[in-house]
Amino acid sequence: MTEMTMSEPGSAQNDLVLEIENFSVDYGWGDAAVRAVNNVSLSVRRSRVLGVAGESGSGKSTLVYAVTRLLRAPGIIAEGSARLTFDDPDGGTGARRTVDLMAASASELRAIRWSQVSIVLQSALNALNPVLRIGRMFDQVLKAHRADMTKVQRRQRAAELLELVGLGEDRLARFPHELSGGQRQRIMIALALALDPQLVIMDEPTTALDVVTQHEIINELAKLRARFGFSMIFITHDLSLLVELADDIAVMYAGNVVEWAPAGDLYATPRHPYTLGLLNSSPPLTGERRELVGIAGSPPDPSQPVGGCSFHERCDFVLERCHREVPALRVLDESGRKVACWLHEDGVSVPTPLRRRAGDDVPATMAAEVAP
Amino acid sequence: MRVLGRRLSLYVVTAWVAITVNFLLPRMMPGNPLQQMIGKATGAVTPQQVLATKLAFGLDLNQGLWAQYVGYWHQLFQGNLGVSLTLAASVSSVLGQAVPWTVGLIGVSTILSFLLGTFSGALLGWFRGSRLDSVIPVATFFQAVPYFFLGIVTVLVFGSTLHWFPVQGAYSQSVIPGWDWGFVASLLRYGQLPVITIVLSSVAGWMLGMRNMMVTMIAEDFVLMAVATGLPRRKVIMHAARNAVLPSVANLSLAIGLVVSGALLVELVFNYPGVGDLLLQAVLNEDYPLIQGIFLVITLTVLAANLLADVFYFILDPRTRVEAAV
Amino acid sequence: MSAVRLPRSPKVLVGAGLVAFFAIMTVVGPLLAPYNPSATNFDANLRPSATHLLGTTALGQDIFSQLMVGARATMIVAIVAGVVATFFSIAVGVAAGYLGGRADDGLSLTANVFLAIPGLPLLIVIDSYLPAGGRSNSFVIGLIISLTGWAWGARVLRAQTMSLRNRDFVEAARIIGESRFRIMIFEIAPNLLPVLASSLLFTILYSIGAYVTLAYVGLTSTAVWNWGTMLYWAQANNAELANQWWWFVPPGVCIALFGTGLALMNFGIDEFINPRLRAAGISGRVRRASGLPRRPRLGFTPVARPGSVRASKAGAR
Repeated sequence: MTEMTMSEPGSAQNDLVLEIENFSVDYGWGDAAVRAVNNVSLSVRRSRVLGVAGESGSGKSTLVYAVTRLLRAPGIIAEGSARLTFDDPDGGTGARRTVDLMAASASELRAIRWSQVSIVLQSALNALNPVLRIGRMFDQVLKAHRADMTKVQRRQRAAELLELVGLGEDRLARFPHELSGGQRQRIMIALALALDPQLVIMDEPTTALDVVTQHEIINELAKLRARFGFSMIFITHDLSLLVELADDIAVMYAGNVVEWAPAGDLYATPRHPYTLGLLNSSPPLTGERRELVGIAGSPPDPSQPVGGCSFHERCDFVLERCHREVPALRVLDESGRKVACWLHEDGVSVPTPLRRRAGDDVPATMAAEVAP
Repeated sequence: MRVLGRRLSLYVVTAWVAITVNFLLPRMMPGNPLQQMIGKATGAVTPQQVLATKLAFGLDLNQGLWAQYVGYWHQLFQGNLGVSLTLAASVSSVLGQAVPWTVGLIGVSTILSFLLGTFSGALLGWFRGSRLDSVIPVATFFQAVPYFFLGIVTVLVFGSTLHWFPVQGAYSQSVIPGWDWGFVASLLRYGQLPVITIVLSSVAGWMLGMRNMMVTMIAEDFVLMAVATGLPRRKVIMHAARNAVLPSVANLSLAIGLVVSGALLVELVFNYPGVGDLLLQAVLNEDYPLIQGIFLVITLTVLAANLLADVFYFILDPRTRVEAAV
Repeated sequence: MSAVRLPRSPKVLVGAGLVAFFAIMTVVGPLLAPYNPSATNFDANLRPSATHLLGTTALGQDIFSQLMVGARATMIVAIVAGVVATFFSIAVGVAAGYLGGRADDGLSLTANVFLAIPGLPLLIVIDSYLPAGGRSNSFVIGLIISLTGWAWGARVLRAQTMSLRNRDFVEAARIIGESRFRIMIFEIAPNLLPVLASSLLFTILYSIGAYVTLAYVGLTSTAVWNWGTMLYWAQANNAELANQWWWFVPPGVCIALFGTGLALMNFGIDEFINPRLRAAGISGRVRRASGLPRRPRLGFTPVARPGSVRASKAGAR
């Protein structure tokens, strides 16, 4: 059942692309269920980039796959909702439509997929069918969604898309194994933009690449976004990649969002101990050398849920309360940034590293690279 | 191309081995079947035929082994496979009549079985967990049934009891062989039961192999991609199936050998005028020239079919064209 | 080496049960046979009855006795041939996979040649040259069956060995200085066990088919009772045309059931080797009880329906 909400241009609803509320995902069922994503609420606005950062096992990939109903068995969406809003050409100028992704039928999902929300997987080699030429993939996707296009038009469009990412038309005739990693990833991006979607989800798209190529690709993405204005969800474990790209960042740990803030604020003034740890463990490309500090310990086993805050065993600033009670994600100040940490409750004295102000003297981390 | 070249040379070597084995076997067996053969031959056929057979098999035992071997090859290249001891005709002519039947039967059965098996296997793999899965134990059972036994049962059930299909021969006695519709129709009618038997026995292998490969493929990222791009289900299944079928095609070579073995017996059961019955009679009558000729022809045909299957695989999997076989 | 944990799917249990049943029949069969299978002093062509559980043949022999006694030769030859063939497979396959280079080329070529030559015709040809004494020797028959059946296993084992050869633990053993021979036996072989077991089962399946076939066409001595010989006699007397199903159906069904048992066990091993083949996560029973869709659908992640959600221990936080 699709919710047909026609919204007025300019309204707040009009600005939303994806809204996730109280979303929880389990692997397995009943007593054997393991919670991978716990009560996450996030939203993505038009033309904005949301970065989702965390270690492996934090649930960041599980979240986005589940939201788009692409999560494999035995994943189950335990609770929550996710609504996608997009332009509806049939409803008149400026009209938008909202679809409840949890209630949509298979055919509705098929219609929205790729035309409104597309995804770039981590390893392009595995994501492209090894026995088909690249051109076939483009042709199939375009044909499935744009029945009015002729074969020639489809090919032209494919060539256009490749040009966007800096590849020649001759690549269409190749097989995936004949191309380099960087080329394959660019093709994935070109494919993701084929139908001009409103939202592009990137699942660690550069993890399998070398550092130089990584940054090339990030730059390309930034340019494409500036040109076409799509929204993006960028998942990564490497915070430094989000510097140029993200508008807002959500930090996830053990299935929960522990902090959410505009990117600049997050780098300059982290409020959650885990975020602080992440920032301290990434070396800056410029600036002075400094000592790298990791985070002691390892993420909890999701099948053995710990009581209280999931980070309490590794936290440098742990309170007694942290062992017993789970902190909720609360808005911290008028900027709208949120954090889930008992340190920021009334009456608690916040440790120095977690109450920096913008402009404070910080050890040369991301501050040097964040544009004002 | 290099890959194909290697396969071709493998087949050439195998052919050479088969021919040499054919040459050596009668000479290695205790009891010297060769002397027996000569002893038998003089009674049933003309002296000229005996001489021809002797030459064909290098039976001039006064010569050394190597000279016999060379003589053997000499005869082979001339197409002389000797003379049948029991049928008083040249082996080549006898084979010439029987081989087309066998090739036809096996060819049709193998292709049908492969197509049916991989198609149903793909569906079984995709719809895993549904009620379709109950087909699997049934298919496993049929796979374990020896071909000829299935043949006997089908003769009993469909022929003797239900009288749905004719059970003996390749075409009706009342029809004269020729390329007209009447004959072809009769051919088709009589061919149904043997083909059904072979297909039933062999389809399970394709089905299960394809199913397992499909399940493995579905776990791959590119299938998830196909779903994520909003392709219709049919296309998604094709994405997976195109990859899953590759090992089956690679196994086609092996399967042809097995099907040939089984088909020979099926011919026996249904009295199909192919090579199977011929071979058996030859064995029971110790008609060695005929046995050798049949074995040779069967082996060469199987090798040729293997080569075709390899070419087919080469076309289907682009990765083989770039890298050398590891 | 990972702990051996056999999956307990019903398929495997049924398969193992069938195989065990026939193994028992092999051992106690001749003891259970009420009469001498070759004795012809009964009335011919009798239907099944209390005195003759499976009736009698055209020569007046008790079929049930033939079945019971015949089990032994059939199974023993099949199993021995299977084991011997597998032994060849290991010797050639593992050596080829591990040693590589010219040794691999040579061994692979041998295996491929044997693979390409069709088995049954070769069997028939070799057998036809055997003198009568050879044909009545089950051991010899078993030997030539194994000669035609080892190549497939060799190829599979070679592939598996090659993939294992480059793994870290083998490298470590090499660095420490273990001899090649020891590495093959103590490092690689244990990891080959699942593939090996599967290959053995498959080869036994092939062997029983080959043996029964040879017996059926009359290439083995009829002095030794086996299921194939029973079918030979049945065919010779046109049992199927006379609708004497009690004569030829029992041996055939026994062969088929034994083969099915082997194949089902093979299934289980397949699932063990390839985890993707195992049932994913939630069993059918639980699905039905919880209201989840019957089978997992790719691209349609299930949403737990409110009200049907049993509180998972994780969700209680």
